[in-house]
Amino acid sequence: MSAFVELAEGGVRLAVPLLLASAGELVSERAGVLNLSVEGMMLTGAFAGAVGASMTGSPWAGVGFALAAGLLAALLQAVLSVTLRADQIVTGIAANALALGGTTYGARLFFTDGRSVPGFEPVLGPLTVLGCAGLAVVAAIGLLLSRRTGYGLAVDAAGADAVAADRTGLPVAAIRYGVVLLTGLTSALAGAQLALAEVHAFTDNLTAGVGYLAVVAVIAGRWRAWPTALACLFFGIAQALQFTAPLLGLHLPTAVLVMSPYLIALVAVSGLVGSSRAPAGLTVPFHRESR
Amino acid sequence: MRTNAFVVYGGAALAALLAGALLALGGGASPLQAGAALWEGMFGSAYAIGSSLNTAAALGLIATGFTVAHRAGLVNVGGEGQLCAGGIAAAFAGVSLPDATPTLVALPLVLLVAFAAGGAWAAIAAWLKVSRGTSEVITTLLLNFVGLAMVLLVVHEEGLLRQPVTSSQTLPQSEPLIEGARLPLLGLEGSPATIAFLIAAVAAVAVAVLLRRTATGTRLTAVGHSVTAAARLGLPVRRLQFWSLTSAGGLAGMAGGALVATTPFVLAESFSSGYGFAGLVVGLLARGSLAAVAGVALLFGLLASGGMNLQLAAGVPASSVQIVQSLLTIFIAGAVILRRTS
Repeated sequence: MSAFVELAEGGVRLAVPLLLASAGELVSERAGVLNLSVEGMMLTGAFAGAVGASMTGSPWAGVGFALAAGLLAALLQAVLSVTLRADQIVTGIAANALALGGTTYGARLFFTDGRSVPGFEPVLGPLTVLGCAGLAVVAAIGLLLSRRTGYGLAVDAAGADAVAADRTGLPVAAIRYGVVLLTGLTSALAGAQLALAEVHAFTDNLTAGVGYLAVVAVIAGRWRAWPTALACLFFGIAQALQFTAPLLGLHLPTAVLVMSPYLIALVAVSGLVGSSRAPAGLTVPFHRESR
Repeated sequence: MRTNAFVVYGGAALAALLAGALLALGGGASPLQAGAALWEGMFGSAYAIGSSLNTAAALGLIATGFTVAHRAGLVNVGGEGQLCAGGIAAAFAGVSLPDATPTLVALPLVLLVAFAAGGAWAAIAAWLKVSRGTSEVITTLLLNFVGLAMVLLVVHEEGLLRQPVTSSQTLPQSEPLIEGARLPLLGLEGSPATIAFLIAAVAAVAVAVLLRRTATGTRLTAVGHSVTAAARLGLPVRRLQFWSLTSAGGLAGMAGGALVATTPFVLAESFSSGYGFAGLVVGLLARGSLAAVAGVALLFGLLASGGMNLQLAAGVPASSVQIVQSLLTIFIAGAVILRRTS
């Protein structure tokens, strides 16, 4: 197989978890909630997916475990950011640390005697059934919550000006709960994708920053769907290039590839090229008395 | 208000303790055994206390910087990246100085270079904030990852900082810093504690005085309360914002310099090991009080040493400490609403 094909296939494979996680994150940020805890939700999903698949012997049961665990992690974040109006950045970073500590602790207790983790095999090019399902979920979110549907507009309204949205009768808190839980589900699916379709095991800190990369893709995509998807694809290829660069005869320090997504996002968000507008109410908690 | 804060912190600490006891049970040790191992790891030896002090110094410096920026209404999430920039600069300076440079020249130079590099790293975000209005939360967060990758770059490239590769065993790290650039020990028996602790203490006191007793401190506070009001009063809002974030980066950079100038005196791939993020949490939990910065930094430093012993002596995974710390953070951050309504 030529190195270019390998690069393209690797890029697509690695882009799938990014697309999933950033699809949820994009909707959530549009509604005004910055979930830095995507990383933690992914890691939780990956761990629960591996545990579930290993316990039951069925990778689909693993996916179920992952979704349930992701929902729980998201519920924690939603209670903190929406109901308790806690700082979204602090709680996001703390939730990631909690997920890292929790899954590492759990792995010490559970994955002791070389338990095998049944996973998915590729069926469509480099994609597994789970990967295809993931892409379908991304497409569904893109269609149902675009700026051209009522739901999508409600999401944007909650993120642009929560107080005004509330005055028009939109259930701001419910919308924000919904988007955070959605992020939990898609991130957990992304984590399960990594554990069950890529690595076929759980190792400490399996996600290793992919969740943050998903948040970065949303920023680089300037809170718009297609640019975000493009950023995910590009970040996927940049990750794949770390493995295939030698085959292509490229001598690039790995570190340059590692930092490229963040530099791109920095340029995109700085407004040096074109304009970038974050949702006005991003990270601003809402409660009805604050007028 | 006072009692309320007491209830919040006390409740959070109790809940975290309870979680710790459960984690110990889950790991197969009784909570008492685990508690004893943790205590032993925290206070059991001069070595443990010394390494806790070194960790606390780095966390304290970062959190002190965070407090300066926070006073002006800016959230510096970028401690990790600024720490990396400081560490890289310190390593460059520390390996390229002539071997015979005396400590009195080499050490201040290395720390100053680290401060400048961390400051410059933060200045990127500060400049984008004041000139383009880009959220410093997002830019400093992104710059963290660039900084971490920069460390990766310089320790892997022989043309940059990597020590000469003599065999396949050669680690990707810099050569050791010259003698004169290394932080002297405090001189306590069997303790690895360096003067970094004193530097952090001096920085915290200086910043406390600056914020509470000087006109600059008052101006920063005004900007933090309301940018529009401060601008109407004729304060140089942008300049104040720029320099507060830049000096926050400088302090984090100095923490990076101090880490590199401590045993084993090299810049290695994972030298930052999450200090920047932990320092951010310390700053947030301290809520603007520099006395609290010192207290929380010490607590986190001690817990880090305790966690290692927890694994060694009681067989409870060291990640338990990380879980307890993050729970503590979540409880305290989540309880903000109680303080607000009081």
